[in-house]
Amino acid sequence: MMKSATVFVIFLFFCILFLLMFRSSLILQTRSLPEILFASTWNPDNKQFGLGAIIIGTILVTGIALLIAIPISLFSAIYISEYAPTKIKRIIRPFLDVLAGVPSVVYGLCAFLFLVPLVKDVIAPWFNIQSTGLCIFSAALILAVMVFPIIISLCVETFTAIPLSLKEASLSIGATKWETVKKVVFRASSPSIIAAILLGFGRAFGETIAVNMVIGGIPRIPNSVFSPGETLASLIASKYGELMSIPIHESALMLVALILFLVVFMFNIFGVIILRRAKKRWNY
Amino acid sequence: MQQKNRCIFFHTTKKYFLPATFVIALVSMLLFSGCTTKKENTIKIEGAFALTPMMEKWALEYRKIHPDIIIDINANGAGAGMANALLGLADIGMVSREVNNTEIQRGAFWVSVVKDAVVATINARNPVLSTILEKGITKQQLRDIFITGNISTWGQLIGNSSITDKIIVYTRSDSCGAAETWANYLGPYKQNDLGAHVDLDRISAVNGDNTLAATIQREQFGIGYNNIGYVYTKKIDASTVVPADDLIPVPIDLNNNGILDDEEKFYSNRMSLIHAINNNIYPSPPARALHLVTLHNFSGITKDFVRWILTEGQQYVLDTGYVPLSQEFINEQLRYLEEGTRPELS
Repeated sequence: MMKSATVFVIFLFFCILFLLMFRSSLILQTRSLPEILFASTWNPDNKQFGLGAIIIGTILVTGIALLIAIPISLFSAIYISEYAPTKIKRIIRPFLDVLAGVPSVVYGLCAFLFLVPLVKDVIAPWFNIQSTGLCIFSAALILAVMVFPIIISLCVETFTAIPLSLKEASLSIGATKWETVKKVVFRASSPSIIAAILLGFGRAFGETIAVNMVIGGIPRIPNSVFSPGETLASLIASKYGELMSIPIHESALMLVALILFLVVFMFNIFGVIILRRAKKRWNY
Repeated sequence: MQQKNRCIFFHTTKKYFLPATFVIALVSMLLFSGCTTKKENTIKIEGAFALTPMMEKWALEYRKIHPDIIIDINANGAGAGMANALLGLADIGMVSREVNNTEIQRGAFWVSVVKDAVVATINARNPVLSTILEKGITKQQLRDIFITGNISTWGQLIGNSSITDKIIVYTRSDSCGAAETWANYLGPYKQNDLGAHVDLDRISAVNGDNTLAATIQREQFGIGYNNIGYVYTKKIDASTVVPADDLIPVPIDLNNNGILDDEEKFYSNRMSLIHAINNNIYPSPPARALHLVTLHNFSGITKDFVRWILTEGQQYVLDTGYVPLSQEFINEQLRYLEEGTRPELS
């Protein structure tokens, strides 16, 4: 029974994969994959299905979000696990769990009401750029906020799981606390940190509704991070409702979904390989 | 030996029975989703957000006369409504845009039941508001703002070079009837042409009618467009509905004489705008008909419901905030409904 349940879950994976491949085959019959991936004009009315500009937007949003999220999350995780008094630790953890569980549409709404005016009136003028606030940078900021709790709680868990004897050994030969964190805690938990970051990447890459509400929705190659853009996930969300009645449009969107699916899948495999190798090397 | 073999076979089947059932159910759901068993007294309606409030009112009133009929309404966008109507999953699809040729080839049949309109909107703190309210904006100027991007500042719009505030153009990121209709008014354009040549620092798109209205409400230099239902939201008394705070509908200089004549000033409340649409003073598009779509032809109780909408149902249109159709137009739609064909299809 348990085995069959597992088999069912694996079947589900292939079901989704084959469905997406089957439904996106129509557009691949009319044009080649590189043509779709690198052409930059998305205009379904003129039969142009270039995803170039949208892929650039996706990379920018995800990349900036992770650049902001990784250092902040790592530092707060170290503080929580190594430096914070137990009392504070006990208060912070439930807050993090709640933050991780807040529906993304709530994040999107907050971003629309507070982040967009902030970017428009304060942050973009710093760089001497005019922006509407509905831009790639706003989307990256809210994504970073959404990724924090995931990376932090995973890191805190691994940091606290490191055997005390390891740290004690380091401290006893005269290393300071910060040196111990840097040389022992970080090293010993590096595979888990990478796994946490990859999980964060998965969330950032696939996040749809919050991004959709603040990114500006223009599928053109951006001038700067304060230009409006579009990501693969938000493209599907905004176009699916009205376009699915025309087969070639539907097929194009299915191809976008297939790309999302495959990228996330590959990064997960990548993460598993890193974890395994590191575990072998560190022998635990 | 025989016995043993059968046993193994039986064992294996049992083991994989549960997942196999799930998978078969899932696959058949995905592949044969076109075939459903239809309940006799249920009308299933799906589609455009623009038409949903009206349909809910109609369903409510119709069920007072026919309490035995169940009307199931689901707002999921014009495209989804169209797709499900063509697959036979929904009896009626609500569609707020023109019917595409591909859809006609797949057997789409439709009648128009009510009208709606799109207006351009600006912020109440717009730097040249008084001039715009006095002179209006011509169609060519709107085209230069939304499509070509040639007019880039509010000063340039009214011919005063000392005002250098840039025009921020807002459009919709989700595919929608409102954008399609607005682009159609400006010329032979589609939604994707809106803002296609506007500088990237002056343009953004937002998701949804209400979000666009909210954005213009706080963006001093912005211009956007909305279905009238999302502009006229402030109720003064039982019959007067005016534009929401900080949201100003852009008056169009219809005869291009450079001044807003008295007969072109009908934006103060919803009723006067509806009156202008009804008398074809406000152009169409951006006024547009909303359609009910089905595969090949309406039949049975569904046909009866659509017939009721086109006759008695019309009395609820004004109060719900939509524009009634002219009697001539209704007669035409009734004829299409009875004959099961329309000129576009032949």
